[in-house]
Amino acid sequence: MSKIVSITGAGAISYGMKQINPDVVPAFPITPSTQIVEDFSKFVTDGKVDTEFITVESEHSAMSACIGASVAGGRVMTATSSAGMALMWEMLYIAASMRQPIIMTLVNRALSAPINIHADHSDSMGARDSGWIQLYSENHQEAYDNLIMAPRIAEKAGVRLPVMVCLDGFIISHCLQNMIIEDDDKVKAFIGEYEDRHSVLDIKNPVSWGALDLADYFIEHKRAQNIAMKNAKDAICEVSRDFSNVFGRKYKLFESYKTDDAEKVIIAINSIAGEIKEVVDKLRDKNEKVGLLKIRAFRPFPYAEISKALKNVKIIAVLDRSESFGAYGPLFTEIRTALYDMVDRPLIYNRIYGLGGRELSLDLINDIFQESENYLQKGKVEKIFDYINVRGG
Amino acid sequence: MDKYELKPWQDLALGGVITQGGNSADYNTGSWRTYKPLWDKKHCINCLTCWVFCPEDAFFLTDNLKKESKIKKKISGINYYHCKGCGLCAKECPVNKKGKVFAIKIVKESK
Repeated sequence: MSKIVSITGAGAISYGMKQINPDVVPAFPITPSTQIVEDFSKFVTDGKVDTEFITVESEHSAMSACIGASVAGGRVMTATSSAGMALMWEMLYIAASMRQPIIMTLVNRALSAPINIHADHSDSMGARDSGWIQLYSENHQEAYDNLIMAPRIAEKAGVRLPVMVCLDGFIISHCLQNMIIEDDDKVKAFIGEYEDRHSVLDIKNPVSWGALDLADYFIEHKRAQNIAMKNAKDAICEVSRDFSNVFGRKYKLFESYKTDDAEKVIIAINSIAGEIKEVVDKLRDKNEKVGLLKIRAFRPFPYAEISKALKNVKIIAVLDRSESFGAYGPLFTEIRTALYDMVDRPLIYNRIYGLGGRELSLDLINDIFQESENYLQKGKVEKIFDYINVRGG
Repeated sequence: MDKYELKPWQDLALGGVITQGGNSADYNTGSWRTYKPLWDKKHCINCLTCWVFCPEDAFFLTDNLKKESKIKKKISGINYYHCKGCGLCAKECPVNKKGKVFAIKIVKESK
């Protein structure tokens, strides 16, 4: 039986990992992902899982051990945040390029300096070109559900890529929320048995992983990797459909919240979507045609699907919770690219918010819709790029 | 025939995994060569120094048919499929070092 529990986001993730019961979990704790590793190590000690838990001396070693365990034919999971993932950097690319379906929960946290432990997306956005599938989560339930879907997506033939499940540090990882934890057996049946590919432990069929490629082969391997990421888009849709058939909750590549007849839309990622929905509801009560488009899959990025979903929209505000210094925010550049082929392109602008955990209140979200209304009446965007809630403007 | 045929991306193994043992021997490192060693049987003393130093294991060895000889193995030629023309063999050759005659000569690849 599924049960409704009050749990932290990190607690929900470690509980999901317990249900998945991976073969190997190499991990190094880092705020705010620590509780995931702590809780899971307790499951290991208490004999609740069959997992080989490897305590390592750094995150670089954690991801190295993940890759080693994965090429040895195991289902492998880990969790980290911010500087922890930054230290994995070299191995992130290797995991993806060697096509190992490793599942990593990334609890989003700002990158130093100055040192900061709170939520923003500079860690995962920096890793957007590493070849990992990236799924983002608005709340506890979505984070848990994304984690349950991740192995099926990662392990699908034609995909075989690692998946990063992202959720906001503290806001999701540490706060309590009521959510549904599904039945262990149902989760187990949904995940299925792990099928390895070219395991190094298969001594009858010896293999070598991670060999050298020179200029005569490297680009062909990258080309094949890109197709895997394209296939991942279909895999996410298919697994999400199966998930909703089994568990009832519907997920797509992105969520369109009251966008069908919307004129003004905000596009955002992760936990802020919850606040935006509340503002959308309030403005809808006043008959304002507003909506939210919340990104779930950032890699692969659903360009065509997004431009189709936004075809009747008049103005879009894209909220980025990370910086790309000297450029627009990473989400904005993707959305603007998605819109280019439209016949009637909507107005669009970019706002940076919430770096290092800075609050974005309901009033400030309301102001964004108001700013969109002003631009709409003037027929043009006056400030394409700006910050929200920064002293000094 | 060149065993090292370049394949299109569709035909590559998952993540670059190598599924056959010892297939680095298929790689035609000889295509890198700009200089080429020429082995001269007449001056070679079969000390096998070139074979020891060659980083590509590109010297062919054969059994010495003279059973009574102390020399058990003899050089019989150069494997140009693997020889990348580094010149170590010519540099280390003790016959060459004496400077009167050459057992291994380095020439431009085109010759």
